[in-house]
Amino acid sequence: MNTIIRIALRNVVRHKRRALITAITMMVGIGFFIALDSLYNGLDRLSVDDVINFRDSSVKIFSAAYDADRESYPLDKGIPDAAALRAWLKQDKRVVAVTPRAQFLAQAGNNRDTTYVIGNVIDAASDAQVFSLKKALIGGYFTQQAGSDRQIIVGKDLAAKLGLKVGDTVVLAATTRYEAQNADDFTIIGLLSTSDPTLNNSSVFITYDAANDFLDLGGLVTEMDVRLQSRTNLSAVLADSAAVAAATKSSFPALAPYSFQDLNKGILTVLKQKRIWGYVMMLFLLLIAAVGIVNTVLMSVYERVREVGVLKALGFRGSEVIRMFILEGFFVGCLGSFLGAALGTLINLYSIYVGFSLASLGDVGSGFVFWGTLRGEWNPGSIVFAVVFGLIIALIAAYIPARSAARMTAMAALRFV
Amino acid sequence: METILKLQAVRKSYTKAQRSVEALRGIDLIIEKGEFLAIVGPSGSGKTTLLNIVGCLDLPTSGSVLYDGRELGRMTEAELSIYRKENISFIFQSYNLIPVLTVQENVELPMVIERRFSHSEMRRRACEIIEAVGLGQMADRFPRELSGGQEQRVAIARALVKNPIVVLADEPTANLDSRTAEEIMSLMETMNRERHTTFIFSTHDAMVQRHARRVIVLHDGLVSEDRKEAA
Repeated sequence: MNTIIRIALRNVVRHKRRALITAITMMVGIGFFIALDSLYNGLDRLSVDDVINFRDSSVKIFSAAYDADRESYPLDKGIPDAAALRAWLKQDKRVVAVTPRAQFLAQAGNNRDTTYVIGNVIDAASDAQVFSLKKALIGGYFTQQAGSDRQIIVGKDLAAKLGLKVGDTVVLAATTRYEAQNADDFTIIGLLSTSDPTLNNSSVFITYDAANDFLDLGGLVTEMDVRLQSRTNLSAVLADSAAVAAATKSSFPALAPYSFQDLNKGILTVLKQKRIWGYVMMLFLLLIAAVGIVNTVLMSVYERVREVGVLKALGFRGSEVIRMFILEGFFVGCLGSFLGAALGTLINLYSIYVGFSLASLGDVGSGFVFWGTLRGEWNPGSIVFAVVFGLIIALIAAYIPARSAARMTAMAALRFV
Repeated sequence: METILKLQAVRKSYTKAQRSVEALRGIDLIIEKGEFLAIVGPSGSGKTTLLNIVGCLDLPTSGSVLYDGRELGRMTEAELSIYRKENISFIFQSYNLIPVLTVQENVELPMVIERRFSHSEMRRRACEIIEAVGLGQMADRFPRELSGGQEQRVAIARALVKNPIVVLADEPTANLDSRTAEEIMSLMETMNRERHTTFIFSTHDAMVQRHARRVIVLHDGLVSEDRKEAA
């Protein structure tokens, strides 16, 4: 074994307690960097999944005519051959489920007050395969036996505004597909409590059976919502969404398909900015680890200045002195980095396969009820980054005191007390 | 006799606590190959400074040091390092062994640094010299497992392993009891006789002076006496 490597390695072993404390500092910094990065990804994913599960699905498709006039919720510009589109979409291996929806403007009231709402007409069975309304319900979901019964799911905050609860009656007034005015009583079977305030404040859901009767809808589909297969990483989710939207546009030029990123540019930008600040904070963790390495090598250098003098008197060059101390820093850095990667991986294993339940957080007061589980995401890039960063920091941290030791003359080093 | 070192009007001054201290005040000295020379004098007389200048660890403020006719003061730091590596070995008062290397590895170290020897040659030479200083059974031990006398023997072995022209020893027996000091001096004498290595050592130990064949007495940075002892 090369003598310089031997001296460096044995010095690390000789001061094993000090090396271990430094390595543990690094391990904590790097381990938590990896774990936090994974949880950050998980949080981003939770936000994206919420939008997919409750509002936008993975891919949303309108007719081009409806899309041009979407703000006014027209009931005369639906998707022309919705059944054919649905059948075509289902052939795609990435597609798990497809559901039709129609949106309409309405007024909801309690016989005293009224408020404008966005009505959502859903096919209860297939909608439950695409969206997750059931998971965010206080009360029940539409049953198959309900048929054309006037049942309705109302946003939780909307119900509160009107002083209504499950089992109460809400009066819904709307313009039918053929421009006639209609109003009817609907029985509230569930209150929707999601992370999306628009859904909670101003949305109601009724079934196609009820809407065909109430709005003369005739099975009109204003949007087709698509659920894609579950993917581990967000980037894969976004890639699938873009690919399916592009394929739909290519096969159905008269339609206006939207990928998740088309509909949620703002959300993705916010997540990206949040991530940058997250990285800045996490880099501080790694810098703490760097301070540990600087401290270890500094102590090592000051303890061994006379030894440096002897080595220089024997003919060691300054570069060899630097190499010896850098190797010491590198060995400690290796130990710390790999222990950190192991710690981060262990925390990730727990957070990805077990996760942290959010249910215990309950209602935090803003009407947003936490539910589900926060899970981390694998990010091999961040593990490699943390390990490489740890090693580079260790080398830089070791270089500074090593250079000052190497600059001393043999005489000055031998005289050093 | 062949002259290997010639010092002409060597002066050395330091600044200590904002005061200029003249450690050497004009030393003229000729040292010949194979000498066993003691530099003696009271503390602060300039013994260590003179040794450091001869060993190229320090440069004179004025005057010249010639080795084999070459002026050391005109060499670059790199050239001085090579000169040191090829011609001079040091024995320090506090042994200064590398604590994480075994006896064998410490002795091999100067040859490793010089990169002139094959691995087997390094091993052979190291074993031979370790045997010669009486530590054949201790080659695999670390310095912390040795006594002071044994450590100084290792330092001597390390100094002699590559057959240097000059060995400089700064108070080589200062940390040893009298019996061990006597043994160390005998060992150095034997090495000087057998290998014709020039030994220059600083000391204020009377016993050490008795072993020297030439004694230079320094006083206040000047040579006050230069006497040859009977062999």
